This record gives sequence, structure tokens and C-alpha cells, in this order.
Amino acid sequence: MSNEAATATTAEAAPAPEPLPHGLGASLPSTDAGAKTEGTFPYAADLWAEGLLWAAVLRSPHPRARILSIDTSHAREMQGVRAVVTHEDIPGEAVHGRGTADRPVFASEVVRHHGEAIAAVAADHPDTARMAAAAVIVEYEVLDPVTDPEQAFDSEPLHPDGNLIRHIPLRHGDPDALGEIVVEGLYRIGRQDPAPIGAEAGLAVPRPDGGVELYIASTDPHTDRDRAAAVYGLEPERVKVVVTGVPGASADREDQGFQLPLGLLALKTGCPVKLTATREESFLGHVHRHPTLLRYRHHADAEGNLVKVEAQILLDAGAYADTSSEALAAAVSFACGPYVVPNAFIEGWAVRTNNPPSGHVRGEGAMQVCAAYEAQMDKLAKKLGLDPAELRLRNVMATGDILPTGQTVTCPAPVAELLEAVRDHPLPALPKDTPEDEWLLPGGPEGAGEPGAVRRGVGYSIGMVHMLGAEGADEVSTATVKVQDGVATVLCAAVETGQGFTTLARQIVQETLGIDEVHVAPVDTDQPSAGAGCRGRHTWVSGGAVERAAKMVRTQLLQPLAHKFGMSTELLQITDGKITSYDGVLSTTVTEAMDGKELWATAQCRPHPTEPLNETGQGDAFVGLAFCAIRAVVDVDIEIGSVRVVELALAQDVGRVLNPAQLVARVEAGVTQGVGIALTENLRTARGLVRHPDLTGYSLPTALDAPDIRIVKLVEERDVVAPFGAKSVSAVPVVTSPAAIASAVRAATGRPVNRLPIRPQAAVVTGQ
Amino acid sequence: MGQREGAAGLTTHAPQAAQAVTLPASLDEAVAALAAMPAAVPVAGGTDLMAAVNSGQLRPAALVGLGRISEIRGWQYQDGHALLGAGLTHARMGRPDFAALIPALAAAARAAGPPHIRNAGTLGGNIASAAPTGDALPVLAALEATLIIAGTNGTRREIPVSHLLAGMELLRAGELVGYVRVPLLHAPQVFLKATGRTGPGRAVASVALVLDPARRGVRCAVGAIAPMPLRPLDAEQWVAQLIDWDNNRAIVPEALTAFGEYVAAACIPDPAPAEDGTVEQLPPAVLHLRRTVAALARRALGRALS
Repeated sequence: MSNEAATATTAEAAPAPEPLPHGLGASLPSTDAGAKTEGTFPYAADLWAEGLLWAAVLRSPHPRARILSIDTSHAREMQGVRAVVTHEDIPGEAVHGRGTADRPVFASEVVRHHGEAIAAVAADHPDTARMAAAAVIVEYEVLDPVTDPEQAFDSEPLHPDGNLIRHIPLRHGDPDALGEIVVEGLYRIGRQDPAPIGAEAGLAVPRPDGGVELYIASTDPHTDRDRAAAVYGLEPERVKVVVTGVPGASADREDQGFQLPLGLLALKTGCPVKLTATREESFLGHVHRHPTLLRYRHHADAEGNLVKVEAQILLDAGAYADTSSEALAAAVSFACGPYVVPNAFIEGWAVRTNNPPSGHVRGEGAMQVCAAYEAQMDKLAKKLGLDPAELRLRNVMATGDILPTGQTVTCPAPVAELLEAVRDHPLPALPKDTPEDEWLLPGGPEGAGEPGAVRRGVGYSIGMVHMLGAEGADEVSTATVKVQDGVATVLCAAVETGQGFTTLARQIVQETLGIDEVHVAPVDTDQPSAGAGCRGRHTWVSGGAVERAAKMVRTQLLQPLAHKFGMSTELLQITDGKITSYDGVLSTTVTEAMDGKELWATAQCRPHPTEPLNETGQGDAFVGLAFCAIRAVVDVDIEIGSVRVVELALAQDVGRVLNPAQLVARVEAGVTQGVGIALTENLRTARGLVRHPDLTGYSLPTALDAPDIRIVKLVEERDVVAPFGAKSVSAVPVVTSPAAIASAVRAATGRPVNRLPIRPQAAVVTGQ
Repeated sequence: MGQREGAAGLTTHAPQAAQAVTLPASLDEAVAALAAMPAAVPVAGGTDLMAAVNSGQLRPAALVGLGRISEIRGWQYQDGHALLGAGLTHARMGRPDFAALIPALAAAARAAGPPHIRNAGTLGGNIASAAPTGDALPVLAALEATLIIAGTNGTRREIPVSHLLAGMELLRAGELVGYVRVPLLHAPQVFLKATGRTGPGRAVASVALVLDPARRGVRCAVGAIAPMPLRPLDAEQWVAQLIDWDNNRAIVPEALTAFGEYVAAACIPDPAPAEDGTVEQLPPAVLHLRRTVAALARRALGRALS
């Protein structure tokens, strides 16, 4: 749902005589914003090649069934059908997967979720391909699906790897510690779909050397290439992934169940093959946020200081492991939130069910626990008769405190400052000065809202996420910077998903080399890997790699000059294309210093290593943490239960602002995604079958649902281990805002609100 | 759409398959075109039809476009009634001049979706697709509107809107909804809709309520909770007696609450008692829906009488 194109248009339009913004800290507009707003930016679905064939995928209509037979003969005989592939046609590895290789390319013996791929067809027309896919006759023995994650422990294994994907029993401190005040709660979080604005699409083109090129909107091209090569039985060099325009990615956006058949069909037919997923297929195929069940018990002393937190966290991973192990690690590690908790006993499980697959959606794990621990904090405040913000302030962590995993927080953690900033911000005015028929009430314009039934509530939440991969993941990125004829080019395989990486890369080079004209090359797997685009890692590692490469070019450029004048390169500076020495003796232009040469440098950035959590959930698992505080103001129609979020005031720990306009856009997008989790976004299932897989049934927030978003404070305390000192900004608003909205609805209605999204019946006040 | 060169000589140009489209200029021409091509599908705003076409669920052999039939895109007066063209868009019905005539229909049209849907979607389309969540339908039911159906050779027949929505009478092959006749009541009318969010959304429940001062009647219809709008006739008659029609249409406040509950219980009844006399409790979601209908009906009557 990321509305990336808006990023650049909000940048200030500079009056004509002023120079264009450039360098770090400026609101540099994105280069593709114009094309995206005008609708001319080419996405994967727009690709075309002469003589291409169209693919269609046959998907399981059952959440769990045994496949007795697959008969493709009718489909093969249809006019215009060029190839039909099933599990029998896979030359290489039959299973793949993001974290664990446990997912078949095509189901062969059993199907484990609604929409699992069984066969794929290539034909000369998309309708022919769909009809042929429907003509593949599959005989199923329908089995009873396991859809309750609590039953997954005892039911028969759904997969040869078993139903338990991971169990983390975190133990920290004294198990016998008791508090005077104890509050308990049971919380449920629904299934959010990342719902990228463009559904999956791609084009596969066979190569003369027997390899294949995949033109797809991948966010992790090298991993996708390696996985595809393994499935096709080819060396990785013979598969090339070319990244096309990515239409929105707030998760691992691509469904491998369609990427892999695409290349397989191209190899089989020798023709280019294109596939564009329908919205329904998109909902069925790609990964979702883990539906989560959480049980909490908080102990506190009479002053409200936390003594102990006990929790059980159960993630529904769906049929395949994907990145559930990482999501569980985050959920368990951040189960107490950014609070000082001396004793913590957290049990976390990720289990297999026949529900739709779960995986990386930003803020995974951290978002679900935030909704639960903040609900507990509200309960505790109520029981103690304390102001909810005051109770939180008594417990917040700071730099130097210890996480329940035993890791010391070494990065800036200005949590108290963030919470105070949102608490002290003036509350939005009631609309009493405007005519009553102009009020925007819950239910919206022309809705049924009635002022007399509307109650206003204010709630708080503070959230945290980790940045970069955790538990020993090798987070490395490589970038090349080239300068010729006064123009710099960046080659880096970090995919621009709308997060603004290409803009940032241009700013970094401008800042380091003083060259204004910077191009960022399109991404393919001929370049060295930059890794996946998630958890703010491209700002950190790919941005860091670009900076290092640019600095190496700078040294190459300045070395001869420095040598000539007998000074070190550090005493020379580049501003606006001019090189000057500290004493002003030397002054020349970059173009002159280049002297027609071409300068290249390639560099890598690899953050300091982390370690896996051990058998009691202890370990230095995270590279860095980011924090955010949000105050939500909501209006609730207490008879109908409709909720309107009036305002979200946010304060965030960002390290350093690299591009103000882009940062605001990222925060607003993240907060709005959180509004979706809190109020409407839940991909419903009935006995494992996905209900209403379309954008009418699955309600994304519209402009009217999005509240006023006030960025009250951005704390710029630089993180010394991060390049530029900057922290990731996109994920933590997603983590924090749903809990704040739930807290505000609690304040407005007095109801417990222990389930997200908040159902209208949970926000109704009856019997008054 | 211009062609764009992409990587490796790939382009973004895709040839479109040609399709037979007729664009008649009058209702009779449209009916004749449908008679000539029985496989053709009529299309007005296309907000439902084209979504089905684009997702591949529907492949009409031919289309008869109704957008150029100017006679059904406006309205006229006809002895105390308004004769509304089936091609009226929601955007047009939402404007103040229309709202002065038939306020509830204007309110429903304004609530019917985002602006691009309201600009295209038509009154006739809302009736023909007869989706339970069609916002105009409860208003037409409360107004007891009559449909004027155009058939071959210039024939016209009339059916009450409720008969069509209930499936008591059906459109025959080649027939089109031409006009909708609604009474002009010159009294307050209300349409209220509960959705799951602040932005435009499908109704969870909706209530249309119109006053008929000449006949001293209240007419109410509840939409979206059943396949067709429901009319709580007993509740209507009961509450009409409680209104002091000669004294500013005054009513005691308790009657509003009772009316809401009466409507809700009529539309969402308790399950019939079992043989041993026990009554099964309704599921929480249904109870909430009933509470919502009660609140909407109470608010609607309150606003109409205020």
C-alpha cells in the first residue's frame, strides 16, 4: 500500500533562482515521481515482447487435500496451449523457501493452503491460458484443515518438517518475582495483507545459452535468482533477474509460486512468457502478516514499576515456514516493549496451519506484541488509577538498559523524550466552531454519525523495532560509484521499491563528491548483491556502501592534487563542484581535476555481527533499534461502534534526517498502514478458505480514513554505528500506531478492546 | 497510449482484441439492438460490469452502450411524481436541485461510493445489478417506486420496484429499465448508512425513511442486511399513529427508541422457540447488526421529525 510516488511531489518547489536541493538533509525529489504520477512509469505488468505467450497458474481450491491424480491431457490438447507444467516437470530442486526450503514449487501429493500452485500453463492468449489451467483435472481427497493454531500442536503433521516451526522459551531474571498488582489479558491480531497497489506480474525471456531472464518486480533479486536457478537445475550465472518498476512493497512482495513457473514455462517453450496476477491470485499467493494470539500477565509494584512480564505468543505461520522464525524472534525479544522489565518469561511458538501463508510484512512480530503490551499498560494504569502516559514514563527504557534477551541497548533510546513530546502536544480542538453538518463524524460524510452518540478518546503507545536482519544474518551490500565527464553513476543492486533509495544514493554522492548530476543504474543480478530491501537495511548497508565507494573515488580524485600541494586529502574540500583547500590557496573545479579521466570504486558495507538467540532466548541478536511514540485521538460512535481516527501525533527516533520530504512521506505511509491494521484490514478465512480476496472485501484505508498525522518531534540523536547516524523510519510507525488507536478506543468506550482490527461490536457501549 | 521502449527491446504496447459495441441514441434503438443481438449485454456506467470483464469473469460477445441515450439521463415531472431516467448518474442525483425534490435518494447517491464511481454509476444500473448493498434500493423501496420497462416495438410496462427486487417479476430478454417513477412527497426524507469505515464503503446496514404527510404515513426500508430491502410495515403503521401530524409532527422521544427496536426486531427476528420453549440466543455479530439497525432507524425517524 505504499504510496511512494507522492514522496517527491511534497518536496518544496524551490523558487527559480535558488539552486535545486542537493546533498544529505535536503528534500531532493525522486526522479521517477513525475512518471509515476502521470502513469507513464513502466511496471512489470506493462512489459511486452514480440511473440510472447501468456501464463496462468492453477491453484488449489481447498486448504488441505491429498492429490490423487493430475490429468493435464485435456489442457494440453486445447488449441493455442503451448505447455503445461506440473511437479513432474521441475528439473532441479522441488522445494524452495525464504528461510527454510519447505515449499514445493507445485504441490504434488498434498495441498496445504487455499491457492497453492499445482500446475501452470503457457498459451497464446491469456484467456486460453486461464481456460487451459481450469481444464487440468485434479482429483482431490479433501482433508479436514487445521486452521486453529492452538490445535496445530496436537494435530497430525501437516508437513514432513512437523507443525512446530520454532519455539523460543525466553527466560530472564527471577521466575519467583511477584508484583503487588497483577493484570492479565488475551489478545488477538488479525491477518494483514501487504496489498501492494500493483499485483504480481512478470516476463520470462529464454536466452540462447539455455538460460532465462526474469523481468520481475523483485525486492531481493539475487536470492530470487539463486532460488530460481536451483529449481530450474541451472547454474546461477545462467539465470538473470532484471528488476522492473516495483509497484509498492511493504513486505516480501513477490509470490514465488508465480515467479518460478514463469521461467519454467519460458525454458520449456523457448518463447517469452508473461503472467499478470489477478488481485484474487495476489491475495492467495503472497505472504501476510502473522495472525497472532497473545496471553500476557504483567506484575507491578504499588508505584507502577514493572516487576515481571509473563507472556505466551503464538504465531500462525500458515502452511510454510517462510520468515516465521525471524518474526518470532522479534515478537519474543520485544514482548515487553521499550520498558525496563527486570524479570521476563516469554514463550513463543510459530506453528504450521492450513491458513494462508505468513511472512515478512514490515514490523513483523514487533507490531503484534506492541498491541498486546500496550493494552496491558492501559490495564495496569486503570488498576493503579494512574494516568496512562505517567505509568509508561515510570517504566521506559533508555540507552544502557537491558532487553529481556540480555542485550544491552547501546544505540540512542530517547523513549521518555518521545513520549513526553506527544503527551505535551496540544490536543486537537473539538469542531464546535464549525456548523454541525460539516463535522466529519465516525461513519464519514453522508454516514449515520450523530454528535450525541460520539465519544472522544485519547490513547498512547510506544513501540520499537530492530533494524537489519537479526540473529547472525549476514547483512552485506556492495555498491560501485563511477565518475566521468562530470557525471556520477551509482551501480548498486538495492531495489527502489518507493522507499527512496535511488534518491538517497544521489544525495550521498552529491554530498561526498560535490557532483550534482548523479544517475542510479537499473538493477539486475549482473551486479553484486545488495540483499533484500527490508527493515531499513538499504539506507544502512547499501547507503553505507555507496558512501564508501564515493569516498574512495574522492580520494582518487584528490590524491594527485594533495600530493602536488603537499597536503593530505582531508585538508581539501569539495563544495558545489569546486575543490578548495583549508587555507584557500588552492581552488579548482572537479571537472579540471578529473582531467578527462574515468574514476571507479567499489565498496562493501557490513554492519557488526549479531548472534542467534540461545535456548533461553538470550543473545545479542540485533544490530540496532528504532523507537516511536504515538498519541491517538479517536471519535467513536458508541451506538454503532464506528471509529474515526481524528489525529495521530507522533514522535520518532530517526538518528538523522537525510531527506525531510521523503521521511515525512514514509512516516505518513507507515502510520496509515497501522490505521488499516487497527480498524479494517483483516484477510478473513472460513475453515482455511480465503473470503473476499478483493479490494472491496479487504478495506484499505482511504484518504478519509487517514487521520491528521502530526509529526511532533524527530529526535536526531545520531546512532554512531550506522552510516550517517540515520535509523530506519518506515517500520516503527506501523508497529506503534495500531496500539495507540486501540488505547484511544479503550479510553473512549471503557471497553477492553483486545482484538485487532477493532470490530464495531467491541467499540459499542450498551446498557446506558 | 504511446509505446515505450523498455529493457532488452521490450515494449509496453499490447494489442487489444476488437469487440462489437453498439451505441444507440434512443431507448427504442437500444431495445432493438438487444433484440438483434441476444448475446449482447447492456452497459451503462459499467462500475460492476467492467470490473467483471477486467477480472476475466465475464466475456460479453457484444456490448450495447446506454451512455448516449439522452432521454434517460435526466428527469421530468409527471402528475405529482418525478419520472427519473435510468441513466441518471449518482453524481447528478447528489446535486442540490435533485436533493430538494427527493432528499433520501440524493443522500443515498452521495453515499454510494468514491467520486469516480458516482460519476459513472447510474440509477438503472443500481436496480439492474440489484446488489444487496445497492444504496438507492432501500430508498426506492421506501418510496414505493415504479419501474417503467422498455420492450420491443416501443412497448412499455410498469412493475413496482419491490416486485423486481423480490424476483416476483423479472426483466424479459431484450428489455431495459427505462425510467423510475417516484412520488414527490414534499416532506423530510432520510437515508442513513453504517459502513465499516470513514471512507466510502459498502453498507453493513442502511435505513431509508420517508414521511408522507398527505397520507399521514411513515415508510421505511432497511437495506444491505438481506438480499433485498426489507419493509417493517407494522412498525411503520404503529409509529405513524404516534406522530402528531397537525402539531409540527411532534412525537415523544421514547417512541423513537421503541420504533428503532421495533424495526430491528422485525428485520432481524429472534429464532423461533424450540419445542421445549427455549429460544436460541442470536450470535454476537447478528445482535450487533440488530443494534445497528435499531440505532439507524431511531436516528432516521428523529431526523425526519426534527
